[in-house]
Amino acid sequence: MNAPDLFTSASRRAFLGSAPSLLGALALRDLFGGDDGKPSRAAPRVKNVIWLHMEGSPPTLDMFDRKPALDRHDGQKCPDAFLPKERFAFIKGHPHLLGHRHGWIRGNNGIDVCELFPHLAQQLRDVTLVRSMVTDQFNHAPAEHLLFAGAPRPGRPSFGAWASYGLGSENRDLPAFVVLLSGGSLPSAGKALWSAGFLPSVHQGVEFRSVGEPVLYLQDPPGFDRARRERALRAGNDLNGLHAEAHGDPETRTRIAQAELAFRMQLSVPEAADVANEPPDVHALYGTTPGASSFANNCLLARRLVERGVRFVQLHDSGWDIHGTSPGDDLMTQFPKKAAQIDRALSALLIDLRRRGLLEETLVVWGGEFGRTPMNEARDGSAYWGRDHHPHCFSMLLAGAGVKRGAVVGATDELGWHVTDAPIHVHDLQATVLFLLGVDHEKLTYKFQGRPFRLTDVHGKVRRELLA
Amino acid sequence: MLAVSGGALAQQHWSYQPIARPEPPTVPDAAWRQPIDAFVHAAMQARGLAPSPAADRATWLRRVTLDLTGLPPTLDELDAFLADTTDEHGAKARVVDRLVTTPAFAERWTQWWLDLARYADSQGYEKDGLRRTMWRYRDWVLDAFARDVPFDRFTIEQLAGDLLPGAGDEQRLATAFHRQTMTNTEGGTDNEEFRVAAVVDRVDTTLSVWMGSTLGCAQCHDHKYDPFTQREFFELYAFFDQTEDADRDDDAPVLRVPTLEQRAAAKAIELELTAVRARLVAGEGDVAAWAADVGARHAAFRAAALQLSPWRVLGPVPAGGLEAAHRTAFAPERDGVRLEEQQEGLAWRVEPTFVDGAVHTWTGNGAAVYLHRTIEAASAAEAVLSLGSDDAIKVWWNGIEVLAKEVARGARLDQEVLAVDLRPGTNTLTLKVSNGGGPSGFAFALRVPESGAELERVLAVAALDRTSADRAVLAAEFVARAPALSAERAELLRLEGAFDAQRGPAVPVMRELPADRRRETRVHRRGNFLDPGDVVTPAVPRVWPPLPPDAGRDRLAFARWLMSRENPMTARVLANRIWSELFGAGIVTTLEDFGTQGEAPSHPELLDWLAAEFRDGWSLRSLLRTIVLSATYGQSSAWNESNREVDPDNRWLSRGPSFRLSAEMLRDQALAVSGLLSAKPGGPSVMPPQPDGVWMQIYSGEKWEPATGDDATRRSLYTFWRRTSPHPAMLVFDAMSREACVLRRQRTNTPLQALVLWNDPQFREPAIHLAFAAMQATGGHDDDTVRWLFRRCLQRDPSAAEMARLVELVKAERGAFAADPGLAERIVGAERHDLHLEVAAWSVVAGVVLSLDEFVSKR
Repeated sequence: MNAPDLFTSASRRAFLGSAPSLLGALALRDLFGGDDGKPSRAAPRVKNVIWLHMEGSPPTLDMFDRKPALDRHDGQKCPDAFLPKERFAFIKGHPHLLGHRHGWIRGNNGIDVCELFPHLAQQLRDVTLVRSMVTDQFNHAPAEHLLFAGAPRPGRPSFGAWASYGLGSENRDLPAFVVLLSGGSLPSAGKALWSAGFLPSVHQGVEFRSVGEPVLYLQDPPGFDRARRERALRAGNDLNGLHAEAHGDPETRTRIAQAELAFRMQLSVPEAADVANEPPDVHALYGTTPGASSFANNCLLARRLVERGVRFVQLHDSGWDIHGTSPGDDLMTQFPKKAAQIDRALSALLIDLRRRGLLEETLVVWGGEFGRTPMNEARDGSAYWGRDHHPHCFSMLLAGAGVKRGAVVGATDELGWHVTDAPIHVHDLQATVLFLLGVDHEKLTYKFQGRPFRLTDVHGKVRRELLA
Repeated sequence: MLAVSGGALAQQHWSYQPIARPEPPTVPDAAWRQPIDAFVHAAMQARGLAPSPAADRATWLRRVTLDLTGLPPTLDELDAFLADTTDEHGAKARVVDRLVTTPAFAERWTQWWLDLARYADSQGYEKDGLRRTMWRYRDWVLDAFARDVPFDRFTIEQLAGDLLPGAGDEQRLATAFHRQTMTNTEGGTDNEEFRVAAVVDRVDTTLSVWMGSTLGCAQCHDHKYDPFTQREFFELYAFFDQTEDADRDDDAPVLRVPTLEQRAAAKAIELELTAVRARLVAGEGDVAAWAADVGARHAAFRAAALQLSPWRVLGPVPAGGLEAAHRTAFAPERDGVRLEEQQEGLAWRVEPTFVDGAVHTWTGNGAAVYLHRTIEAASAAEAVLSLGSDDAIKVWWNGIEVLAKEVARGARLDQEVLAVDLRPGTNTLTLKVSNGGGPSGFAFALRVPESGAELERVLAVAALDRTSADRAVLAAEFVARAPALSAERAELLRLEGAFDAQRGPAVPVMRELPADRRRETRVHRRGNFLDPGDVVTPAVPRVWPPLPPDAGRDRLAFARWLMSRENPMTARVLANRIWSELFGAGIVTTLEDFGTQGEAPSHPELLDWLAAEFRDGWSLRSLLRTIVLSATYGQSSAWNESNREVDPDNRWLSRGPSFRLSAEMLRDQALAVSGLLSAKPGGPSVMPPQPDGVWMQIYSGEKWEPATGDDATRRSLYTFWRRTSPHPAMLVFDAMSREACVLRRQRTNTPLQALVLWNDPQFREPAIHLAFAAMQATGGHDDDTVRWLFRRCLQRDPSAAEMARLVELVKAERGAFAADPGLAERIVGAERHDLHLEVAAWSVVAGVVLSLDEFVSKR
């Protein structure tokens, strides 16, 4: 531990028996066997990940997976053959099929895209569209746990924590794992989605807040300017230095360094989080307003963070739970509203990353935690159009380093009920993203409660059909 | 060669062998002849290590006080101990004997237990609803540690107190231990799925805490390394599968158990109740006058011949949330109801199905619905409106707002009761019902004033024709309704409420199903509860001694078996946990895994000796006393040449224990040294300051309401623990969410920790108070003030270099504040104007001391 990577350094003594080491670089070496400098079998293709989670789960059937049969049978009872063994969250009785409620435009990769996404349609040539995502869970919180932490219940480390643990940070002044929220509420599964679980808490996602200080406790208390903070820091560390000599515990040296870093973070974090000094053309591209709390601002912030070496940026945008119980969650009012909030911003993020060459080392993942039913939910006889939770298929987008461009992977049946080709379980997606980061998902493990745990639990395959 | 199966090998594993009390080796060093020290000394010798010298006395005092009570010693305690020099061992023993009987001792060890109990003040999962009564279980634990309840009883009551013969309330209350499991109230979830998850958690927690065994993987398949089959997992599961709880939203079954104070208070209230009831009597003349008045009002109501139009409805108008829906004045509210126009882009529609006296529902999350109707009256009259709403409600009568209530609830009649005056002609009634999430709805009924079938019947009879039974009805109604007795009734209501409140909070507990409703436990194939396999009955895994043949096959039998002398695991596992609390690591470092995949013990004989010692009487106090009075514990924790090389992790205990304090101890210590710590014990959990916006919950109107007064500065044990959002400063110092049992907290060292120590008001306020205290305690000489700060916080005098450095700092701060005197006042507050500059300058120095490595660590 000569020059500790400070964000990933934890008390060495406290983790006896915890494999592998906490130090990112060391962990990586363990994962690929030896430091002889030979290029490893799975050389990383991606340095950073931006994961855009559409919390509640968008109706991807209506966005990227057009089903003429659904339009033809709109309003008809859904075929009996589909119903046995099916459990729904809210649908009761015999549901009716629901056709698409919005028109279609042609994306620049040649596929039909919902007309509410005109900007995104022009980016699809650079994106892999996965139509065959599959999950096991049909309630939000369990499905979100499964997607981000590999198991349907709380307590496991989330993806970003594993990435921080395995790979460390590229920026000594910023955390490796940052979380950004928009849409007005937390994800259903709460902060567990960026929890370090049983990993050392240093790997927990740090929430950058859009209101108030970007990181909790960052701001000095009243009466402290930089000079006073620095005088206090220097005095404290001088005393800590004396104590380190007298007592000899190496943790004291670490604490000295962490205090120095905290002092630097008080400048580096607000700088990174402040989108105000981006030029007007960038704001025009994203549709951002400095100071606002929005998905667009978070997209721009995500770019600034990966630009500065943050390993894993996780965005949660709430409001996508399109059940159709009221205009606040239906296909005709709420869905277009959400579409307008993300279409330009998401497209701008891809354009901006590409222009800066960042898409060569960044992977962008977009999607919800599950799909939505081909049937109208009609809860309690609701007259608003909407779809219930559906675990059997949904679409996600992948863009950037290491993945195909313009490809469409997988297919669903003519109603969009089941996958008919290349089912990709969320564990497969996790294994594949880890692979792109240069990590073998079966080797990135941590021993807890007597057994080794990993992100993909005991499942997951790297899916070559997604890779460039 | 004979093949030995993996299972057979595993059965020879050390932890499955009976505990014998080993003889301590003989060691030459006279100071190291207590059994603990003899084992440790011998192990050191074998590795060429020598013990460290004894820690200096003040360091030992700080260490032992923090370890036993979670708080630092006071200056008086320090001085008294330093003066007690006659007999070293006796002086230390007196300190320990004092500490283990303090309330702080019980608080500190309750804190330890709550991690294992996965104690929380909320249900967990998506909605994470609050459990505002769980503190009653926490106070049960506090009381148990305060009385040093033997660990076997402590265990049996928590696991199966409800099944003990003649179980009392307190014993039933103890079973809330296993009701700390999470409850999922998310819409559309399968209660059985989450009941199963809770039972699995009970098995896992019980085995981890008491048996140091991890059977989690045997839930899905036979254990790969340890001798446990999937069938055995479900045989254990069967012990816990027979309780009534079933992931219900209300956490039923619950038990109300009053505290001692509540029992006393209830007695006092009962006396007052008797007195008030005696005053609630009806005089004959009063009754007659009242009956005449009510009769006239009933007649006026009938004469008005009310005509109610059907309801007209507009909405739901989406607003994004309950608060916004309720508070935003949409068009009907802003511009008045215009039935023929579109308002908020929506048309008013007639709802003939919304009949009076029933609850009507609709859907619309975070949205408002307006309801409007007219009431034609032939003449003036009084009437009563009965209303219910899901969730918030506003009411306008004849265009005037008469009610606004922002609540979250399901609708039923009589949630709101409003008296209104009807004018002749058209009256209008407009309602606004705003919904948070889930279904929304309302209920309405219009009644005669002083309604009631009996009363109306009797009043319809002419006064002279009333029978004695009729007169009795009137007298009773008079007592219940007449304005003349309103003060007495209010008092009665208040007292009844107060009496009920003293029945104690309703705590979720374990309750066994009656014989005719017992579940059939089956193996879940591949861990999937929807795929049941063979039927199993309760049993313990074969690798451990069996239950006694005459014992039952229920939780109580299992709990007794856990604590029996035949069980080789529990005493070792618990002794190891307690050791680890003091030394920072266990003799077996994997506290949760004593199986073949766990670490082997560094000092197997010491562990067995401690286990045997603990098992004799199961007294936590006496085990702790033995350990902290050992020479091993009393060593200096400083590193030296030899132990740095050979024993960097202190596995061989060649140094005294030293590591960073827990999140709770850190905050409590800062509050204690600054004099801010409140000593108030027990009671409902409190909400000390945390940054705004940390509690952001999707369906919940619950808010973090920062505590005021004493409650803001109580021990961290009492801080409200919401699983999806524990206090953020505690998380920074490695507290965990308590979604599952926390077997071992991590100890990290991060920059965010520096930020909390510098900037969290919970540390900044103490710094300012500490500065005040230091100045008041000393004569104003900088050297004296620094020395006082050091002694108060670190229990030692500063070195010359430390002194010089802090004096230099205070001089610099003095100069800087002098240049901007207004700033000092803003920091310190309005009082003690004469001291502003000094306190401000010293508060910077105090803040430095409160974030020193030495202060945040046990040394």
